[in-house]
Amino acid sequence: MKPAPFEYAAPRDLDEALDVLAEHGDDARVLAGGQSLVRMMNARQVSPAVVVDINRVRGLDALGVTNDNGSSTLSLGATVRQRTSELSGDVAAHAPLLAEAGAHVAHAPVRARGTVVGSVAFADPSAELPAALLALDGLVKIRSRAAERTVAADDFFTGPFRTALAADEMVVGVEVPVTAGRSGSAFVELTRRQGDLPVCGAAAVVGLGDDGRVAQARVALCGAHQRPVRVPAVESAVVGADEPSPFTEAAARAADGLDPVPSCHGSADFRRHLARVLTARALSTAFARATSPKETTHA
Amino acid sequence: MPDKVRIRITVNGTRHDLLTEPRTLLADLLRGDLALPGTHLGCEQGVCGACTVLVDDVATRSCLVFAAQLDGSSVRTVESLAGADGTLHPIQQAFTQEHGLQCGFCTPGMLMGACELLERVPEPDREDVEEALGGNLCRCTGYQNIVRSVCAAGRLMADEKTEQSGVRA
Amino acid sequence: MSIVEEPVTETRRWVGQSVARKEDPKLLTGRAGYIGDVVLPGMLHGAVLRSPHAHARIVSIDTSEAEALPGVVVVLTGAAAAELVDPMPAFCAEPVEQRAIAVDRVRYPGEAVAAVAATDRYTAEDACAKIRVEYELLPALVDPVAAMEPSATRVHETLDSNVVFHRSLDWGDVDGDLARAHTVVRSSARWHRMGAHPIETAGAVASWDPYGQSMTVYSNSNFINFLPWAFAGILRVSTNRLRMIPCTVGGSFGSKHLITKVVSITGALSKACGRPVQYLEDRTDNVAANDNVGCDRIYDAELALAEDGEMLGLVLRIIDDYGAYFQFAHGQHGNAVAQPVGPYRIGSLRYDVSCVLTNKVQQGFFRGAGADPGNFILERLVDKAALEMGIDRVELRRRNFIRPEQFPYKIPTGNVYDSGDYEAVLDRALEIAGLDRWREEQERLRAEGRYLGIGLASCQERSGYNASEWWFLYGDEAPLPATSTPESCKIDVDAMGGVRATIGCPLWGNSPETVVGQVVAEEFGIDPSSVSVAYADSTSGAISAGPGGSRVTIMLSGATRGAARTVKDKMIRVAASAMEMDPEDVECVEGVFRAKGAPGTSMTMAEVAMRAHLFNDGTSEAESSGLVAVHTYDHPYFTPPTADRSDLGAFYPMVSHACHIPIVEVDPETGQVTLRAYYVVNDCGTVMNPALVEGQVIGGIVQGIGAALMEEYRYGASDGELETPTFREYLLPSMHEVPEIVLEHLETPSPFTEYGVKGAGEGGRLVAPTAIASAVDDALRPLGVWVDELPMTPERVVGMVADAQGRR
Repeated sequence: MKPAPFEYAAPRDLDEALDVLAEHGDDARVLAGGQSLVRMMNARQVSPAVVVDINRVRGLDALGVTNDNGSSTLSLGATVRQRTSELSGDVAAHAPLLAEAGAHVAHAPVRARGTVVGSVAFADPSAELPAALLALDGLVKIRSRAAERTVAADDFFTGPFRTALAADEMVVGVEVPVTAGRSGSAFVELTRRQGDLPVCGAAAVVGLGDDGRVAQARVALCGAHQRPVRVPAVESAVVGADEPSPFTEAAARAADGLDPVPSCHGSADFRRHLARVLTARALSTAFARATSPKETTHA
Repeated sequence: MPDKVRIRITVNGTRHDLLTEPRTLLADLLRGDLALPGTHLGCEQGVCGACTVLVDDVATRSCLVFAAQLDGSSVRTVESLAGADGTLHPIQQAFTQEHGLQCGFCTPGMLMGACELLERVPEPDREDVEEALGGNLCRCTGYQNIVRSVCAAGRLMADEKTEQSGVRA
Repeated sequence: MSIVEEPVTETRRWVGQSVARKEDPKLLTGRAGYIGDVVLPGMLHGAVLRSPHAHARIVSIDTSEAEALPGVVVVLTGAAAAELVDPMPAFCAEPVEQRAIAVDRVRYPGEAVAAVAATDRYTAEDACAKIRVEYELLPALVDPVAAMEPSATRVHETLDSNVVFHRSLDWGDVDGDLARAHTVVRSSARWHRMGAHPIETAGAVASWDPYGQSMTVYSNSNFINFLPWAFAGILRVSTNRLRMIPCTVGGSFGSKHLITKVVSITGALSKACGRPVQYLEDRTDNVAANDNVGCDRIYDAELALAEDGEMLGLVLRIIDDYGAYFQFAHGQHGNAVAQPVGPYRIGSLRYDVSCVLTNKVQQGFFRGAGADPGNFILERLVDKAALEMGIDRVELRRRNFIRPEQFPYKIPTGNVYDSGDYEAVLDRALEIAGLDRWREEQERLRAEGRYLGIGLASCQERSGYNASEWWFLYGDEAPLPATSTPESCKIDVDAMGGVRATIGCPLWGNSPETVVGQVVAEEFGIDPSSVSVAYADSTSGAISAGPGGSRVTIMLSGATRGAARTVKDKMIRVAASAMEMDPEDVECVEGVFRAKGAPGTSMTMAEVAMRAHLFNDGTSEAESSGLVAVHTYDHPYFTPPTADRSDLGAFYPMVSHACHIPIVEVDPETGQVTLRAYYVVNDCGTVMNPALVEGQVIGGIVQGIGAALMEEYRYGASDGELETPTFREYLLPSMHEVPEIVLEHLETPSPFTEYGVKGAGEGGRLVAPTAIASAVDDALRPLGVWVDELPMTPERVVGMVADAQGRR
């Protein structure tokens, strides 16, 4: 199938892009990598009147670490490609979870165009990167012609393909706080076929205290709820653990209260089952990475 | 109808200056306006990879890019590989030697994906090939001979290089 | 029948070699000429509006907005199309009419309700989006068992029941065998519907000439030189005013034999505007509405065995969900009864089949064509028998294999197996798999809590069908009881000695040009690369059933050899006359005609050819000028069915065989099945071209991996909506799911065919699904799992584990 007609705008700077959004609101869609948007336009599942191609907007392709008052932040602009993020030394050093989850996204040629921010803004409840951003306590940077705001990832995702973004706003970047200390992270998923969206996936970050016990844990799931979701009951249950055996019992609660979106690839019940299995596995791997000197990573 | 967009685009070394509807997919520009039928559409969803071409040297699904986005870009398709004298490109030679194709419909996408890989990784192994071409579907071959073909192409190209430098020396 | 007498010592130069593929250069360079590449002056582009509903009455269709759109030339509703074209040709006896565009009622999700021709595809789709259709929903029949209920809504008012066909046939003393059996193993099984899904969809370009009342159709169909009158019938064109032109086909796997709906829609649009129209299915058109769907079966089966494991009798009760139409009748069961007893000496068979109509796209054909689930259920029963009787699964097979000296072997249904050595295949497969090593690995991993499994299946691949399989399950009511399934080849040698072959089958992704080149080269002793091969359109008089049923290499080599020999014999006579010798004393060696044993005097191909073309001076009696021969090769071994069907006759007698041993690892918590290794020994008689056969077998195995693990049409249980309309939901295996496949050949030549070749096109897919099922079983044996449903999706595997644990 072929897309419906639309007007094409290719602004060179951000204000120009935001002007178009301000003018057209819901009738406009932002085109970055286009690996989801163009697919949906081809199927005429979405038919925007205006497409705002932000690929030529200056300054949106920045990826780097900034230091501010002693706290460091890893930030990725709206046109940073998934492939760039996956292979970036900064991402590997400061948010290896993002690189690990990113390597699961589709296939290399898709990641070469697709953007990290695009995946976040698209808010597919099954997608890997939104869950990774959640587990990393990430922030979403939002701009409109009138204002600028930063939203915690947990507040950004509101439902299947729904976010806190207003019609005249666009996501200009995401940020991940860089933390010190002994920690490990892991992303695990079940796909029907490598490169497909996962049926369910789990992202975990485990921080250890000086005593080697779990001081804090963050777990986020994709494919397990109406939106990418954190599982605080599990997170608090594993605090204090000094070996991985409590993780399975804690993970048994991973699906409590979740309402997965069923599809031909997995029923809601199966997704809840996977949420439990994968949560335990992600926690175990993250813990092992935190404790093993060889695999020590910083989340 | 929305305004047409002017693009200057180089395809297989030929410069074009054209007006295109914003919604025209790169694949359709190539197959239609530019009369290059070697790029095939298998799903129009970015899943099968048959329409893969190189955009500024990067393997790209031409069904997921609007031609309007490519002002100033350079595109290579399967038609760029073989010589006009009938000489097949080493990648094509390897595919025929190793029986890496049957119906040929997915083949241009495989060849262009392989082309990008071999420009990056001159002598790839199976894992490299899977990383580069794992998202390209083939319904005929069962892939085994495609992997062999791409690895063999690397060796052929390396041999060719050695021969050329030998001649120069 | 005729048994081909082949001197055992015959040495072959080209048959049996991995000759370079003639088809490759055009395919590799993007100039193969697929249907999407056809451009005619003034050509319009079609698009089709399809029903989102499984079952509904069409209350009204408003096309006015669509027609008003700039660039739109024609909008056709079903009623308007019915003024121009006729319903699909039916191979069924029952009154089930199907039109390419629905009239009044849609019966499956994706059924066409309107079609548009416009100046480009984008505009045609814009127009489809502006057609307003009002539907009145009807109950959707999704579950075939529920559809069998007398109270169920009928899919067709012309039928008394949704059970469109039922027949139960006994061959041999089934009840007696059940009674005297020591053990009767029972198993149910579910084989879900899968589709061929070639990467190229179906398409056509139709060009109607309103003045000459003639039509030209380019397409990626097959039967253009077999049933061209069937296309003429739909298009309402005189048979001698229709020209069907073949295109290079981007894969078919059985799905493009007729593509009558696509041809009909394209033809109707062209007729409506008098201009050429191209219509290419998009992927969703293809998944939803192409006739590429395979079997959809529920089995209830029994295998009766004596105490020593001797297999006595087999009972197969089958419910097959045919979808909304019955165009090809129960052909996939005609196919299945070619080899229902597999490689085993099973003396009796009950085959009880119910074909049920539901609100899904109709079954067409897909590689395996009915024998695929047949192999699945039989090998499942054999594995289960081994388990229940405490006999090793390898040993049980050995005890029951048809032995080499028993061929040709007639199975209960009447079909004949030509030759084979099944035990030799099994032994070699066990050897190359290194079974002991894998058993050790299995033990080692089990100790770690991991589940490795070793699969095994020994199966048949019937090849070279005869048309009787389409209809013999009917009695006298069979609408078209055809008995011929021919293939032809024309060979001409021009005055300069150039050899050209013209064939009636299309290029479907297999290698007809290469095969023809090899055979011509073999007969003349010339290089295959020097032979040129062309494809005939439907006006050439070629007759060809083309690829399908693993027949094309068998049939094409027979046709080509026949034509080559006729031409060669004439050239020998011409050469003999010129050299003043007796033709008996002249031979053709490496393209040179010379005296046998005394290669002094000789003539080249070109010298003989020039003489035959331009110097026919009457020296060779009753020979006309020129060098051209057409040879039609009919089915080499066909016998008709008896009137009471107690003997269906020989209809699929070239029987290849294979043993597959896949190694899998299963994660019982996530249900993920990973193939670790795969071993195959294949016997398809004389291997025409090892590289090409290997390609066919491995490609088939990977489709079998899809069948085992991921491929499935899914419909909403209540609304019947298609849940798998794109490649994002209907999953084909990718490079990542495929292990290294190790393949070897044994050769037991067929006594029925030229060179002894048998088919190899479907074998991979015919064996792999059941072999992988047995591997998953083996892996999860400690958990008590028994696999009886494909594909083994992660959710099903987790469910099977949970059920098995629950039973404990």
